[in-house]
Amino acid sequence: MQASRARLFKEYKEVQREKSADPDIQLVCDESNIFKWTALIKGPSETPYEGGVFQLAFAIPEQYPLLPPQVRFLTKIFHPNVHFKTGEICLDILKNAWSPAWTLQSVCRAIIALMAHPEPDSPLNCDSGNLLRSGDLRGYRSMARMYTRLAATPKKR
Amino acid sequence: MHDAMANDSSVSASARDFAKKRRVNRSAKLKQCKLDARREQWLSQVKGKSCKVTPMASPPTSSSPPVPMPRPQSCLHDSDMVFASHSPTSNSPGKPPKVGCCPNNSVSSGGSTRSCSLSASDGEEEGARGEENSAIDDWETIADALSAYKVNDGCHPSCDTRGPFVESRVPPAPVNDSGTRSTMNPEPTRTIPRAWRPDDEFRPQSLPNLYKQQSFPANMERHFGAKGWSHPAILSAPSSCPICYEDLDPTDSSFLPCSCGFRLCLFCHKRILEADGRCPGCRKQYSPVEGEMLGMSGVKPLLPFQLSRSYSMGSRS
Repeated sequence: MQASRARLFKEYKEVQREKSADPDIQLVCDESNIFKWTALIKGPSETPYEGGVFQLAFAIPEQYPLLPPQVRFLTKIFHPNVHFKTGEICLDILKNAWSPAWTLQSVCRAIIALMAHPEPDSPLNCDSGNLLRSGDLRGYRSMARMYTRLAATPKKR
Repeated sequence: MHDAMANDSSVSASARDFAKKRRVNRSAKLKQCKLDARREQWLSQVKGKSCKVTPMASPPTSSSPPVPMPRPQSCLHDSDMVFASHSPTSNSPGKPPKVGCCPNNSVSSGGSTRSCSLSASDGEEEGARGEENSAIDDWETIADALSAYKVNDGCHPSCDTRGPFVESRVPPAPVNDSGTRSTMNPEPTRTIPRAWRPDDEFRPQSLPNLYKQQSFPANMERHFGAKGWSHPAILSAPSSCPICYEDLDPTDSSFLPCSCGFRLCLFCHKRILEADGRCPGCRKQYSPVEGEMLGMSGVKPLLPFQLSRSYSMGSRS
């Protein structure tokens, strides 16, 4: 309990210190609860998610960093490894491949990498996975791009 | 690990600042010693008129500490080491100046200078602080350069005597006017006048190396980069545990629980062992016995460090 709090506090300071280090990631800690974080990540370029800003919700267990944080997309995203309704993410480092050496920041980076390299063989979003597995790259891309436009593009004007 | 070494050589915990201060003192003192030595030499020349060597011969010795001066000479010749020991006796105020044996003179200044540089390392509190040390940033290099210069003189073989050599290592600070007195324990090792060749076992291994390593990280990178030592060095670099972000104490930093080299504090290691027991670095299972053994060998980097140190010296020459 105390260890996780201390570690999260250190991570918080790190994030504050290197705010501009990674412009694609913006990690914000809940003002009243250090175990709740949100992150805004930019969709990687040359993917259907380009131009979108996706919000992630972190729920951090008290055993952190021995246990991984629970991360899910708050923003709708059409991706084979993200549950379309709940936003749950199927990512090994959030499950059994977690290492205490990871940080919230590195988790965000891993999720960005997952967006760029979907893994259709372990799909949470079957529609998306099926499109990719059947080789319908154009179908997948257009669907993903559409949802990026609908849900993840910051409203201008 | 560093702290352990520092403690070994009876330097207190604030080794880093200490080292810096000492370095400054040392180089400043070296400069002063050189000035003293030169003055003394001139005095002795005036005294003993029989000297045939022009005074001009000496300034290059002391005033040009060329850092890139090659080391090979200094490691090829033993004899120049004897000079360092021999000349102080001729220069030291209490004894009759031996300047009469002529060609020795130009050498003696260099020799005494070098012994100054040796003995200067002990006095920490006293004097010469105000002097700038921009020209001299490495007393060791200077010493080597001096010896190299003297080898080039080609006049030394006549002066090779073992007696003064042994004698001078007993009084470590022959040059009294510099105000240096032996205050440190590691001092005897350092003032052995012949401890300057890369392959010399008496070469001051403990303190100067440690200081250099701490104060010249760039150099260290360059010298050690290619060696196997660099791997644990980089991995041991973090001063805080990557899991809890707490500072690593000396026990933690010598604790190497996994063969992948991932370091963490003992507390986190224990917590991980109670949980899934996998190394955060490679995600392989910690094996307690092996982890223990590797933990013991966490002290080991000291050895490669010293070896590669001497190796780097050798490769530079």
